[in-house]
Amino acid sequence: MSEEPRVVVDHVSKRYVKYDDAPMLVTRALRWGQRSSRSELWALRDIDFTVATGECVGVIGHNGSGKSTLLRLLAGVTGPTRGRVKVRGRIAPLISVGVGFHQELTGRENVHANGTILGLSRSQIEDRLPDIIDFASIDDFIDTPVKFYSSGMYMRLGFAVSVLAAPDVLLVDEVLAVGDFAFQMKCLDRMMEIKESGTTIVIVSHNLGAIRRMCDRTIVLHKGELRYNGDTARAITVFHELLSGATDGEDLQDPAYRVMAADPGEIESFELIGPSGEPTRTVSSQDRVQLRLDVRFRKPTRDVRVGVMVWDEFASLYEDMSAKESARAFEAGDRVRVSVEFRPSLRSGSYMARVALVQDDGVVAAEPFAIDFFVTSPPQTQGGLIDVAATMSMAELAPVAKPTEVTDGD
Amino acid sequence: MRTSNDRTGGPAVVADVPSHAMSTAEAGFELLGEAGTLRDLIVDTWRSRDLIATLARKEFLVRYRRAFFGVLWALVIPLMQAAVLALVIPKLARFHTPGSYLLFVLSGTVAWTFFMSTITQASTSIVDNQAVTTRVYFPRSVLPISAVLSNLYSFVPTMLILGAITLATGHGSWRLLLLAPATIAACALTGALAIVLAALHVYFRDVRYVVQAALLAWIYVTPVIYPLNAVRGIRPWLEINPVTGVVELFRVATVGADNAWLPSLWWMLAWTVALLLVAGFLHRRFDRVFVDLL
Repeated sequence: MSEEPRVVVDHVSKRYVKYDDAPMLVTRALRWGQRSSRSELWALRDIDFTVATGECVGVIGHNGSGKSTLLRLLAGVTGPTRGRVKVRGRIAPLISVGVGFHQELTGRENVHANGTILGLSRSQIEDRLPDIIDFASIDDFIDTPVKFYSSGMYMRLGFAVSVLAAPDVLLVDEVLAVGDFAFQMKCLDRMMEIKESGTTIVIVSHNLGAIRRMCDRTIVLHKGELRYNGDTARAITVFHELLSGATDGEDLQDPAYRVMAADPGEIESFELIGPSGEPTRTVSSQDRVQLRLDVRFRKPTRDVRVGVMVWDEFASLYEDMSAKESARAFEAGDRVRVSVEFRPSLRSGSYMARVALVQDDGVVAAEPFAIDFFVTSPPQTQGGLIDVAATMSMAELAPVAKPTEVTDGD
Repeated sequence: MRTSNDRTGGPAVVADVPSHAMSTAEAGFELLGEAGTLRDLIVDTWRSRDLIATLARKEFLVRYRRAFFGVLWALVIPLMQAAVLALVIPKLARFHTPGSYLLFVLSGTVAWTFFMSTITQASTSIVDNQAVTTRVYFPRSVLPISAVLSNLYSFVPTMLILGAITLATGHGSWRLLLLAPATIAACALTGALAIVLAALHVYFRDVRYVVQAALLAWIYVTPVIYPLNAVRGIRPWLEINPVTGVVELFRVATVGADNAWLPSLWWMLAWTVALLLVAGFLHRRFDRVFVDLL
């Protein structure tokens, strides 16, 4: 087998033309030759990467970063304005569950229609139908119109069809973000199986937990540009920074070079310390952990306070600042170690912590980049947003006397 | 209508692989800033015939389920229309029709209804299916073609009725066999026009209404309720109308046609070829760009 990449995105740019007024045949005919005013939008600029066979690559970025355009290019539904997109083998999207399903048609008929759209032949669909029914666990309902399905059944069937299309390259678009938790876990497990079977996967998602779990490599898109391409943990950090706007417009390929020259203090190191006392990136929701930063002051600074923020992929979950009374003054050349201890009572997923030293009128020292970390929580707490450390117990109570059939003597 | 196919900005074209390289041993595709060749597109469309059949069947089933008598309606409407016209028109004007006026009107309305309902549905098909077209690639012409095919499914029982009435009214002859080529011609013309309109509709969203308005007028310049020999002065103009050829073919097969119906047939064929060329041009150029406008 040649080592030619499975997917090549070669200096691809994509331009969209937006029309200020919807073009109308009638008005165009009346004002012949006059073009409606329009503006251009570059959704992607000079994107360049490859994906090797069997690799699982994540693509993250906020809304409007060009993710969906990239996905469309990879799916081949649209062509690049410049550059070249090349895919070897059959590529199929994991269609956002149930897209293309028709309410009036039965599960079986929809499976046939969607399977054919995904490029399967009739006999391939027949072969896979038992698996699809099994995965979706809807055996009694396969000949019922899908409008009578519960939303869970609907999603399971949609997922099953896409997954069992078994393409060479699977494109995943946010599909993991829907459904109940058990379904998500099942999907994720299935995705891991697909990955292990050697299928090349490209995942575009907001679900950083899934990206983290599955992707060997992750690409960060920002305003149509490729900002980072490499290690997933780093990519998530870069993404978090972009999300917080801290480094908007700056080159993120190597944040270590960023120097906060304007700040009176400089953070020399910033680490998350696990219960064992060693730096870590994976913590249990039950642990007590520490954010530790070493700060060096360049000039005398007064009223310095410590601020902490914890983010999930969408928003700040927790913000706090040390009390004003504990504010301190430092001299130039002072070095200090700040420790913030907390218990990450969060459900499994990826989070980002930021710590900063601040004065009332601004930032004294900000970390060069935030720490992203992964929280694991015990399985029974995985359904909620936070881990409330509940304990459960069960005690026998006196039974209710049965009105009849009392035959025992005691 | 230059949208994303910027012909000047792309790097050198890599020529060793066809633009959607379905024809190589391994599936896959390569896309450049250029549109693919017409030949590739036609090959791709031909390879999508399973998809066309499945989509047509799906569309047919949906229509059938939605209304209890879904397909029956497709049958009843032209019959009703023909019955009403056969009652009303002879009271207003007397036409010299080859056979019974009822059969004359019925063969006309059957052909016209097929054309009208198919064009209405197929011309919006690319936009109507955007949930799928924005996610999966297949040649976009698959959608209008499958719309024509799904209408053909519901057309079959209508034709059986038409054939039965032809026999029952004593007009039956070997010419009934011409219903097959008549149907093929109707599908070809309708399909070609539908592929063009579906492409235009992606860009001009008022095509839907233009088509509706045009169809309202169109029926009056088509010899559905009157024979061609009733309009001597403007007859050559009516013969240019491609649907005239379709209607006349159905007449030849059933009630018997006007003696000089061949010119309309040539016009119909010419239109079909011309529309297919336009369709090929539009889809070759914009097949992968339609989605950007959805």
